[in-house]
Amino acid sequence: MRDLPNTKYDLSRRRLLGSAAGAATLAGMGGLARSPLAATWADRPPSEVDLLNFVVWTYGDIYSQLATRFEEDWGVPVESVISSFNDHPAKLMTMFASGDYIDVSQSSPFSFPNFIQQGLVEPLDGLPGIEEYVADFSPFTKQVAVQNGQVMGLPYFSAIWVWNYYEDLLEQAGLEPFQDYDELIEQLRKAKKDGVSQHPILWVAGVGLEQLPGTWYSLTWNRGGTFFEPDGTPALGPGSVARETLRWWAKTFEEELADPESLKVQFTSSAKAFSAGKNLYRGPNHHYGLSIVNDPEQSPIAGRVKVHGFPGDGRTIGVTHVYFLSTGTRDRDWAWKLLQYLGGRTKDGEYTQAVNLAKDAMLGSGYQSVMESDIIRESWAQWGDVDAILDMWGKATYLGEVVSSVNEPWHFPWTDRLNIEVQNCLTGQIDADQCCDILTAAVDEAKRG
Amino acid sequence: MAADAERRNTDAASGAASGRELSPRSLAVVMNVPTILILALVLAYPIYYAGFLSFHQVGPGQLRSGVFPFVGLLNYERVLTDPLFQKALLNTFTFSAIVVVAEIVLAVAIALLINQQGIWTSRVTRILMLVPYAVPPIANGLVWSFMYSYQFGFLNRILFTLGVITEPINWAGNPDTALFAITVPYVWRTLPFAILLVHAALQGINKELHEAAAVDGANAWRRFWHITLPLLTPIIVVILVLRTSFAFAVFEEILAITQGGPGDATWVAAWYSYRKSFAPPFDIGLGSASAYLLAMLVGILALVYVRMIYRRVE
Repeated sequence: MRDLPNTKYDLSRRRLLGSAAGAATLAGMGGLARSPLAATWADRPPSEVDLLNFVVWTYGDIYSQLATRFEEDWGVPVESVISSFNDHPAKLMTMFASGDYIDVSQSSPFSFPNFIQQGLVEPLDGLPGIEEYVADFSPFTKQVAVQNGQVMGLPYFSAIWVWNYYEDLLEQAGLEPFQDYDELIEQLRKAKKDGVSQHPILWVAGVGLEQLPGTWYSLTWNRGGTFFEPDGTPALGPGSVARETLRWWAKTFEEELADPESLKVQFTSSAKAFSAGKNLYRGPNHHYGLSIVNDPEQSPIAGRVKVHGFPGDGRTIGVTHVYFLSTGTRDRDWAWKLLQYLGGRTKDGEYTQAVNLAKDAMLGSGYQSVMESDIIRESWAQWGDVDAILDMWGKATYLGEVVSSVNEPWHFPWTDRLNIEVQNCLTGQIDADQCCDILTAAVDEAKRG
Repeated sequence: MAADAERRNTDAASGAASGRELSPRSLAVVMNVPTILILALVLAYPIYYAGFLSFHQVGPGQLRSGVFPFVGLLNYERVLTDPLFQKALLNTFTFSAIVVVAEIVLAVAIALLINQQGIWTSRVTRILMLVPYAVPPIANGLVWSFMYSYQFGFLNRILFTLGVITEPINWAGNPDTALFAITVPYVWRTLPFAILLVHAALQGINKELHEAAAVDGANAWRRFWHITLPLLTPIIVVILVLRTSFAFAVFEEILAITQGGPGDATWVAAWYSYRKSFAPPFDIGLGSASAYLLAMLVGILALVYVRMIYRRVE
């Protein structure tokens, strides 16, 4: 029978003194903000382990690099269990159900409440240095990582929803980037009529948690609506902003202004499809798509794609994905150490992972100090107008405020239904009224489980 | 000591000689025991366990703790009243009907062609037709998803070049065509199995029957209709049962090409069970119930097939 540690971290006198000494050394250091209170990332846990693991979805070779670095720093090998983004929840829960060790894993904000409900996530309160991390969390991150007053994770990355436009086609059509939704429709019609583009807009409307739903959420939020009232009742009734937004959105498919590939593409695949240079607009979707469409190695139209904010007051949405400590860990102290390598600081006190993700892939950080650092400005400039993106960042609201069900375990099955019915609406199988009525009823079904 | 051992050997020898060997019937039972045990382990137990799960509330937490609250028929009730399951079932029936009919017609036609002994291309075809059967289902799905791509797909490019279409067709992205689009890669992958069976059956038909009919003036079509087809009926029944049961469980092509979309246009029963079991909230009890319902339907269909067709033969 394995031991599943459930006791809170014991803040020993030795550890407290060590933290204070470390803090004294670091006081006054420049670079990314470091608290003068702790340097716990450099402390070796008192216990011994011969192996740790993390269960993550694939992203380049960042995890093999981190595993190597962790072993070099601490002498403990790390096993990487890596699956695709879509397969990750199934892989993780299968391991959990079968009693396998899981030290650290990750989650989108949509699966996170479910993972917590299933008993998979270990709270981080009381672990050495956690207060410092929390103090540096961005507003998005706080809303995802802190659940019911408990710290449940550290940030993986943050993203906001933005639009992209292909400058050459826009010039060819004699147009300037749209300023409101009526103008957008008129531009799309004109571009199609003039033969500039057969399908002037590529929506990111493939089935997923953030793709198709994220597009509807962001459009609705920008138009002044939400999906649930403060008391939790669905805000999809007749005349609601969400319903009228969907009706408007479906029109772009009905008039064949939207690229048919819209219903299949995900984050990366939409950026690659847009790189073919056949559409005027792409989005709205995660800002880091720019790192693909403006990468000369991946895109024939690199450098010609610009970022564009939402119309009106420019309000948009954002998310943070998280890393978390599993209840199925073999050693909580060591797992916390490993978790920090993924979502916090490495032994040298740097936010290594967050900085690398920002530099290599344009991912935003869940730490305010990283977002405000020169690293962002310097590294993102190759892909887009950093001032514009950061301005949009300042106008972003956490998606959970627009769709409060994100914080509920039933959000995932409801989203399954949302994907189906909204695609049915966009393909003309049902209308926006039917779709919203079905989704309203589906809330109760999802809650019943 | 030595005397005792000798006596035991003598007793054993006389026992064998006096006919205490196992009867053929008993021997058959004994010989089958290992097979029965292995089948019980790898087939019966999972089937029983899935049935057990379908009557309980089962999520990862319950699996980890080993405590499953009993919920009776609740999971079955939820599945049967779920409009999405009904839609998935309808899609499954439609899909299965198309692919099974297509496979039988094509299998008979192609088997007849490659059965022509004098044509060298028959021998080449016999080898080539096995290629799709060797392709892993998920790889097959991915290949066809590229073929179907709206903007860059090979299929649209060929049709456009041939002048058959002037605008690209959104094969897998249009709810009116998506399910049919899935049937093509599925049939392409599974057809060789049916061809092999029909071809083997054709080889067992006595040539003299055809020669006698030809002497009596029967043309090729009449010989096929009155000799070949009736003699192929047993193997066609086998194909019907096997292919229907496999078609009802179609999954890989759905996963690779449409993932159930657009909307619910290609949600099929196996996809439903998978999504319910392996996507949050990981309702494995519900997934098991839907899988059981599907298995029961396939079983009933198999019985109906066998009864209908053999009655007709008799």
